[in-house]
Amino acid sequence: MNIIVCIKQVPDTAQVQIDPKTGNLIRAGVPSILNPYDHYALEKALAIKSRTGAKITVLSMGPSQAVAVLRLALALGADEGVLLSDRAFAGSDTWATAYALATAVKKIGQYDLILCGQMAIDGDTAQTGPEMAYHLGISQLTFCESVDSDGQRLMAKKLMEGGHQIIEADLPILATMTMPANYQPKYPSFLAAHQAQDKPISIWTAADIGADLHKVGLEGSPTRVSRIFPPAGREKGEMISGSTEEMAAKFVEILKKESFIK
Amino acid sequence: MIQVSEKCVGCGKCVSTCPFGALSLVNKKAVPNASCTMCGACVSACPVKALSLPAAGAAKKDLSAYKGVWVFIEILDDGKTQKVRPVGFELLTKGRELADQLGQELCAVVIGQGIVKFLAEISSYGADKIYAVNGPAYREYNTAAYTHAMSTLIQKYNPAAVLFPSTFIGRDLAPRLAAELFAGLTADCTNLSVADGLVISTRPAFGGNILADIKCPDFRPQMATVRPNVFKKSVTRPGQMAKIISEPIGVPAEAGKVRILSKHFDEVTELEKLDEAEIVIAGGRGMKDAAGFAVLDELATELGGAVGASRAAIDMGLQPKEKQIGQSGVTIAAKLYIAAGISGAVQHTVGVEHSDVIIGINKDANAPIFNICKYGFVGDARTILPKVVDGIKKAKGK
Amino acid sequence: MAKNDLTTRNLMLDSLKQYAKNRISHEFIRQQDAKNEIPLDILKEMYDHDVLGVHLLLIPEEYGGLSGQTTEIYRVCEQLARIDLGIATGVFATFLGSDPINVGGTPEQKAKWFKKIAQENKLVAYGATEADAGSDLVSLRTRADRVEKDGKIVGYKITGSKMWISNGGVADIYTVLALAPGGPSWFIVEKGTPGFTQDAHEDKHGIRLSNTAGLAFDEVYVPAENLIGLEEGKGFLQAQAVFGYTRLMVAAFGLGGGEEAIETALHYAQQRVQAGGPLAQKQGFMLKLITPHYVRFEAARAYIDWVAKQLEINNHGLATEGAIAKLYATESGNKAAEDAIQAMGGFGYTKEFPVEKIKRDVKITCIYEGTSEVLEMTIFRGRWQEHLKSRGQYYIKQAEELEALHAQHPDVGADSAALGLRALARILEDCRMQKLTRHQYITFMLGDLISEAEIAAVFAKQCAAGIVTEGSRFDLGSLKTMSRVNARLSAFKIATEGMKLILGVGAAPAQELLQAVNLAAINEKMVGLIEDEDAVSAKLREIFKG
Repeated sequence: MNIIVCIKQVPDTAQVQIDPKTGNLIRAGVPSILNPYDHYALEKALAIKSRTGAKITVLSMGPSQAVAVLRLALALGADEGVLLSDRAFAGSDTWATAYALATAVKKIGQYDLILCGQMAIDGDTAQTGPEMAYHLGISQLTFCESVDSDGQRLMAKKLMEGGHQIIEADLPILATMTMPANYQPKYPSFLAAHQAQDKPISIWTAADIGADLHKVGLEGSPTRVSRIFPPAGREKGEMISGSTEEMAAKFVEILKKESFIK
Repeated sequence: MIQVSEKCVGCGKCVSTCPFGALSLVNKKAVPNASCTMCGACVSACPVKALSLPAAGAAKKDLSAYKGVWVFIEILDDGKTQKVRPVGFELLTKGRELADQLGQELCAVVIGQGIVKFLAEISSYGADKIYAVNGPAYREYNTAAYTHAMSTLIQKYNPAAVLFPSTFIGRDLAPRLAAELFAGLTADCTNLSVADGLVISTRPAFGGNILADIKCPDFRPQMATVRPNVFKKSVTRPGQMAKIISEPIGVPAEAGKVRILSKHFDEVTELEKLDEAEIVIAGGRGMKDAAGFAVLDELATELGGAVGASRAAIDMGLQPKEKQIGQSGVTIAAKLYIAAGISGAVQHTVGVEHSDVIIGINKDANAPIFNICKYGFVGDARTILPKVVDGIKKAKGK
Repeated sequence: MAKNDLTTRNLMLDSLKQYAKNRISHEFIRQQDAKNEIPLDILKEMYDHDVLGVHLLLIPEEYGGLSGQTTEIYRVCEQLARIDLGIATGVFATFLGSDPINVGGTPEQKAKWFKKIAQENKLVAYGATEADAGSDLVSLRTRADRVEKDGKIVGYKITGSKMWISNGGVADIYTVLALAPGGPSWFIVEKGTPGFTQDAHEDKHGIRLSNTAGLAFDEVYVPAENLIGLEEGKGFLQAQAVFGYTRLMVAAFGLGGGEEAIETALHYAQQRVQAGGPLAQKQGFMLKLITPHYVRFEAARAYIDWVAKQLEINNHGLATEGAIAKLYATESGNKAAEDAIQAMGGFGYTKEFPVEKIKRDVKITCIYEGTSEVLEMTIFRGRWQEHLKSRGQYYIKQAEELEALHAQHPDVGADSAALGLRALARILEDCRMQKLTRHQYITFMLGDLISEAEIAAVFAKQCAAGIVTEGSRFDLGSLKTMSRVNARLSAFKIATEGMKLILGVGAAPAQELLQAVNLAAINEKMVGLIEDEDAVSAKLREIFKG
């Protein structure tokens, strides 16, 4: 069985803070991590591998330093890595990104299952997975809490409003994974990190995958950012400081005044 | 990539503004690298206007034939009741506004089984037309079936814009459709407007304190997903009936590749329904640990409210994802919203700003949360709130 | 494939950080410190191959290890120190304990013992120090008497005692230095060998999570194949062969401990509002208690990495460079931890906050693996020879190199570093001509000044070469600013301390010496010092948010 896991290197947005004076992002010193949803998807793939002996290829689109997350995936147990890296991809929105990734998948060739995190924590769109599935002409299953496969079909617990569904699906299929609460990503041992150096990572350009240059980058992106602006300010309310006791007392007073307590 | 003109003075402001680390200073001039996504954040940050986005592609197709604002209506079926999910009415209300500004029609699309009973109510929210795809094959959502139906309708009737709810179904259907149609899709919009005949989708960008306007000048339809509670609903055409257009569309064979074996609905207590709660208390990074959230639970019990969390607290593992309040979580429109230890980044505030009374507590007097608060307390929520709980108990005579 | 590239190193460090985040909470450490208890489960877990397998770094690949290079080992040491110096010491003791086998063992001994350590996750201890033989190891008294049979040596009986041995009470394998008839020699002794007992865990000021215990040997029999190298008398050589290496590891400890303390204080200062604003915004607070430490940390980091890269090529030696790194980084870390308490005021003084414990912990790094005083002498002796051999040109040549560098790169402080080197050359020459090295105190101080001079020089050179040392949180521009600050301060210290000593023994006319060390030029370079330090403070505020 062949599984492809799509992963992305993202800034650790839990650590990104905003400069209160300028409203700008403070990115200095913020580490890059493997997108947690993708980390979870990879662990799901590894669980399937341990049961079926499947081969896992990890695929990522990004600048050259994204090799670090491919290496992490290999250290966790993936077999091969592919980095799609090319200036031609700069400025891609989700359509162009999905097209490029799908074209790379076609070059990888064999696959039964594609797993992705439901979204990247820096983009938050959750669009790339389904768009990839379209480009590949395969079924999709989004927001899965868990998946399993015996190489013949996919079984999944898929989230729906107010509950979930148990789904059975034919392969090949692309599934996007949602993270469980309190998810603690696994990290590789030193030995695994060391041995990951022996596993192959290929770096492909747009030409390597035969991508249609009209479908990547800015040209392949139907959306455009027309402007960026700070949110409109409200009129600032009443600011209260003082000792803990004073503030607590004032808080209770306000709750009474606004009729939230009698 | 972003273009840097001679005006660049090497101040480096763009370098720290860039959310992707795509700019650096080389020999006192800004130089972009392959990480540039052309978001344009640096363009507005540059004090000497030395940066610009490259002009969009040449071909301007004639898109005047694309008319109409469509809203995808989702039917809620939890095994007990069947009704239109309220977000559909919210989108119809907003869609009516957009359609009026564009001078075009507002159309609803309803796909399902037994949907005839909903058509009157849908009409009353302002739809001029309703495209109905009715049949047993559509009773349950299926990606292939619904995508085929929507795609057929869109390619036949050429709408200018299609709005979807940002629900599990909407977020499964809209991107698949956008890929097939080569259409621009903007997820989780916090606002929609019209400018120069285009629909402008606004959403917070890049996890930071900025908003982005996204437009799709060259491709149709313009697509957007919107979360519940972002827009208010109002019956704009009471008693009126839209023109119903029934489209019998067959289900493609691919639909059979994904099969629902069983459905399960969670028991949700009233208190836990964040998006409907009248009083919501949320904790952020400043609550630090489970003990901090325990205080919020106590406060919620005393006030009769629900507890949620900011993205940061979720990422720290302090609360499950369902409790996330903000742009990629639940949007609330409560009577009272208390933000404890939350900095107030815009992707959080867009999820709460429709609330009536907002109280914020943060150690940092400059935290952006205070920009939307009616009352702001500069202090440590972890030490203040236990005393507030005591004060409330005393006031209640406990 | 033996080496670990930077990506692999970063993976290992991330795994270590995540492990500590998940399994070693501040609260847990605080409790262990209060109870003086060793987290043996944690140590064993860190050795577990499937969890981390941290000890595998020091074992060659052919025996099941990772053939860790100097760079990854010092970076892991730095990270371990940031978690807890006691735990770090427990891991380090295994590194140290297996060193004699690594440098002196026969292929059969290496294969046997490294495989055992790697596969069975054994803890190791290094048994050298004795009650009367600490800095002065030559006075060791533990002896190993030959046991012969049919004219052949079949084994040794070891009798004596060892003191303050890290992992003394918990190790499985001990390398023990004992006086054999042929001279000091290393022996491998396993726990449980009859006659070999371990004392109770010491009640220490710091690194209380590190087991420290005395060892007692009462005619402990070990077979002849447990003599490392199978040749008596090689003990000191084998010990000294790895000094460059082990000193570098402890330098990384000092760096890591100091950083952890100051960073804690800085985060606090970003939030603590007094007199209208956060402490971190106040110039006096930052320039007195925080900023100068980061300057020294980055200078230390650049130097440690530079030495590590050379050790990877040469694989031995660099004992003096190792001593310089250790002396500088540990003394800097120790002072930083002290100021971290001051910076946090009352909060820093309570056990609820980690800095008072870090201060207690970091102190040991100035003591073990060569006290600061011994290292000062070692550094002095090593460089004195260079000064003599070159007829006083050793530091002049380095100064010339830096002056040329300054012409190409005027923003790294190479000019001040050069002035410091010239002043040092003059001071050493005065010592030679006036035979001042008979004053032991002067030799200590010279060791210190030599370290300042050499580290300032390497920092400036690294910055000029555009190198941002791996693990640094700063950009090149900020590092250059720090190098300028460091070079000025070092040059001033060298000139003034050196003058003070020489004048103190009445060895030269004051005015002439003043000119000779060119204090005037050094002082002229001071212009802009505060501005540069303020710039570093601003960067610190940006990087280390509250």
